[in-house]
Amino acid sequence: MKQDFKILGTRPIRPDGLDKVTGKAMFGSDKSVTGMLHARILRSPHAHAEIVSIDTSKAEALAGVKAVITGDDFADVENRWARYTMQNCMAQGRALYDGHAVAAVAAISKTVAAEALKLIEVEYKILPHVTDVDEAMAPGAPVLHEGVKARKLGDDVSGNTVGYYSFGHGDIEAGFANAELVIDRTFKTAAVHQGYIEPHGCLADLGGDGRGELWCSTQGHYMVREVCSEILGIDSSQLRVTASEIGGGFGGKTTVFIEPVALKLSQKAGKPVKLVMSREEVFRASGPTMSASMDIKIGMTKAGKITGAHAKLRYQGGAFPYQMVMMGAMSAFAAYDLEHVQAEGWDVMTNRPKMISYRAPGAPMAVYAVESVMDELCQKLELDPIDTRLMNAAREGTKSSYGPTFKAIGLVEALEAAKAHPHYSAPLAPNTGRGVSCGFWFNFGGQVSVSMAINADGTVNLIEGNPDIGGSRASISMMAAEALGIEYDRIRTIVGDTASVGFSDVTDGSRVTFAVGIATINAANAAIKEMCKRAAKIWEIDAEAVEWVDGAAQPSGHNAGNFPPMSLAEIAATSGKTGGPIAGHHEGAPDKAGVSFGVHMVDVEVDPETGFTSIKRYTAFQDVGKAIHPAYVEGQIQGGAVQGIGWALNEEYIYGEDGLLQNPGFLDYRIPVASDLPMIDAVIIEVPNPGHPYGVRGCGETAIVPPLAAVSNGVAQAIGVRMFELPMSPPKILKAL
Amino acid sequence: MRYVVAKDSREAVALLNTGENARLLAGGTDVLVQMKLGNKAPSLLVDIKAIIGFSDISAENGGFRIGAAVSGAEMGEHAGLKAMWPGVVEAVELIGSTQVQGRATMVGNLCNGSPAADAVPAMLAAGAVARIEGPSGTRDMQVADLLEGPGKTKLGKAELISSVYLPARPERSGDAYLRFIPRTEMDIAVASAGVNLVLDENGCVLEATVALGAVAPTAVMVPNAGAALVGSPLEEQALEACAAACEAACNPIDDKRGTVEFRTKIAGVMATRAAKIAYTRAGGQL
Amino acid sequence: MARVVIFGSLRAFTNGEGEMEIDAQTTRELLRKLATLHPALAETIEAGVSLAIDGEVFKEAWFTPISAESEVVVMPLMVGG
Repeated sequence: MKQDFKILGTRPIRPDGLDKVTGKAMFGSDKSVTGMLHARILRSPHAHAEIVSIDTSKAEALAGVKAVITGDDFADVENRWARYTMQNCMAQGRALYDGHAVAAVAAISKTVAAEALKLIEVEYKILPHVTDVDEAMAPGAPVLHEGVKARKLGDDVSGNTVGYYSFGHGDIEAGFANAELVIDRTFKTAAVHQGYIEPHGCLADLGGDGRGELWCSTQGHYMVREVCSEILGIDSSQLRVTASEIGGGFGGKTTVFIEPVALKLSQKAGKPVKLVMSREEVFRASGPTMSASMDIKIGMTKAGKITGAHAKLRYQGGAFPYQMVMMGAMSAFAAYDLEHVQAEGWDVMTNRPKMISYRAPGAPMAVYAVESVMDELCQKLELDPIDTRLMNAAREGTKSSYGPTFKAIGLVEALEAAKAHPHYSAPLAPNTGRGVSCGFWFNFGGQVSVSMAINADGTVNLIEGNPDIGGSRASISMMAAEALGIEYDRIRTIVGDTASVGFSDVTDGSRVTFAVGIATINAANAAIKEMCKRAAKIWEIDAEAVEWVDGAAQPSGHNAGNFPPMSLAEIAATSGKTGGPIAGHHEGAPDKAGVSFGVHMVDVEVDPETGFTSIKRYTAFQDVGKAIHPAYVEGQIQGGAVQGIGWALNEEYIYGEDGLLQNPGFLDYRIPVASDLPMIDAVIIEVPNPGHPYGVRGCGETAIVPPLAAVSNGVAQAIGVRMFELPMSPPKILKAL
Repeated sequence: MRYVVAKDSREAVALLNTGENARLLAGGTDVLVQMKLGNKAPSLLVDIKAIIGFSDISAENGGFRIGAAVSGAEMGEHAGLKAMWPGVVEAVELIGSTQVQGRATMVGNLCNGSPAADAVPAMLAAGAVARIEGPSGTRDMQVADLLEGPGKTKLGKAELISSVYLPARPERSGDAYLRFIPRTEMDIAVASAGVNLVLDENGCVLEATVALGAVAPTAVMVPNAGAALVGSPLEEQALEACAAACEAACNPIDDKRGTVEFRTKIAGVMATRAAKIAYTRAGGQL
Repeated sequence: MARVVIFGSLRAFTNGEGEMEIDAQTTRELLRKLATLHPALAETIEAGVSLAIDGEVFKEAWFTPISAESEVVVMPLMVGG
């Protein structure tokens, strides 16, 4: 593995920075074309209702209205997952949650479209609803969809239970029998939204000739193309999707919510259609993450050794079947080397918006519950929380609780760094507590395509197919520069549209810097091979006798020939005469993405008179394999920590008895603001991933996993009472005091 | 929808009196948001920012008159006003973000009629007086007498508030405003308190006015809370009595922003903490 | 013969059998033989699975070589944020 780097580890200026700070960057709602229409969506005011009839005639008759659609305008699709996505974009037969789309209008202006919505008459028959996970799972609950109950489950759970997973090894009962203290607790966490600043927005143009253009804010434009072409029944070659700049995704833009609607309206109206969600629509009808109800039981010896561990995780993911609790069950005990462990999970449907990924989906809540019990065990047994975690920590060779045996991992290094950090030994003020938690995420590889062109002036263009949600254009350019041996600013990386470069998976699973990085290095090597060939031709020696060193071709030894090195720029300058343009490309599906562990430490102060929690100091330690651009890595760690703090303290979807969402806006859905936070101190730990030529691990998701328990553990110490429910909003803390 | 820039208050009043669904526009930080959300759809928008005097802060009889179009940021930058009524100014400055502060007005905050309006408890504690222009001329009214209920004031048909007067104050006086929100800014009060104190030469409270926000259908004066502080050097016993009086005056709702129990408890906490700040500002030594 | 570990809830489809030996050169061959051996698993395999081969996780990679000493853990397919 390469160890000495010229470019990696430096902090060059981000390529998208100037456009973003000057307002020049084009986001989902920024694109307009002549003659385009504006669309609006009519949404269900009920938590669960049969759509008896929809009369759109008055809306259609309104001057300026060019198309009205309902669920009837969409033909059935064969693939059931695509059908769920379609029915989430536009209800068919039943409205399944407050905010579920039931009709849409395209008109000459936003005002006319809004007016037309009021003219659509929908007759609803209200049906019983359920929004709580435990109620939805209980026998007798109103079932969202028949016939989708997970195979092999009994009558003790309702038909809303669409998934069951179990991971682990050993004999947990034997494990608990060996314990000197067993703690068994139940936890609840609220559904939270990814909270990206940019609402979903798109511009769709689907002509009568079947050719389509779609501009949208997404984490994966190939995914958008595949899903939309399947729903619309058109060839994927005919739908070109361009990803706009993205104002945050965090997993929330790994599916579609409005694009099929905009395309269908455009098809019907014969004109381009722009559709942008309001913030209220984002909250009511795009996917938050799951809420959870969890039982955690851990046994420990007085010395701190875990003897047995059992988790039961019940997640609700909204109105359609989904599979997400599995990763909670896999993550729950991943940090520990355990002989007897079992983690079970149930996926449950409710009358809420269909969930979608949120940064390490499924892991933060499970790890919160486990790390809370770990903290309570340490407290009761008077053990040091970091020493105890070190005693039980997973390391290279540990058989993980979810199956595989770990390769090189950096949990021990992160824990040791945390223990040695001045933060851990700093004195604590009154009403203040210090919490610690581990966190884990798998990280993925997956399909990538990269195309690289060497220009005649010695510069390089690189096209890749993954939207840049966290600085990937910079880190990809840096890896290309490192591989080619040229300066960073000679390279421009762009995110190509679906017609310009091969398929690429969605930007998820912290996979892009890892997977696109490998494809970039391979593409660079292909270009290097060609450049060596050109140099060999010029020198009239064998191509095999040329090697690439520091950005230039040179004879591989004295026997090969005596020529001065020929730089990339020199070779590129004559490329037109030596055989034409020089390029390199790579398509693949790299695996072996190394897992990433983190340890967070936080000091919280709780006002005993108001229950208000403030974050006084925060330090996050994370193994990232190799930090390509450390400033971006720190940003990822800080961002994850902040989102986790919000989850712990104030963020929640609040539903009334009527099943309606009470806080669809940033006023009452409280994400942390800048003044709520201290500077998050990010400590980068580099234990190279053997699966990447530069040692890279994904780093974007792990950081949201530890904060929930770290904050909760800090609160427990500050007030002397442990909270078992998130968010720990001031009324709840004051009541506990 | 029509948009008219009124040249003087007479024209503004006449426009309000046309029978159209008219709304006033000063800072616009409430009305424009309500229109955008589709909650209000006025047929006539009357802009009062260009009316002479509406954007002025002027000294008057030892106090200050604050025009209806004066923004929070302008109040925050006025050294004289800030020195005399720091509690009122800090209350106004809590409204919205820095950007909103450049537009939002204290009078708008009052007219919007929210029980949680930040400026209102501070104005009540200060004894602020509103100047009202209407079809039958000009009149003055205590701000405390203007409050009616959520979203409502006692302003009559086609009446508008042209300014608010904050009176002169004696030596050894100070005011303060505190609110509780679940984060540190950009939020709406769960409970709040404005306190205005005048001390005697010995540092004992001579006069005390306490008003609470977000714990009843309107901001409320709590005379018993003020009375609990009078005669005291703000010792623990007086503060406890003040908090108890505040709790007794609370009649809040249970909603997503706070439970009845929580709002009631917090109102007393905010009042006693604000009292301590006002006391210090008045020159008292805690 | 690679050692194949069927994990947790997937065991419901292998009549409770948690470990088995399968002679396969690649993941594709292994998954085919596994589906033949345990038809109840076929639906899950068709929907997509992740495999950990000697501790390294692979996603749908048919031609990944498997040695006779390999430990292969079969897991459901994962997604991220």
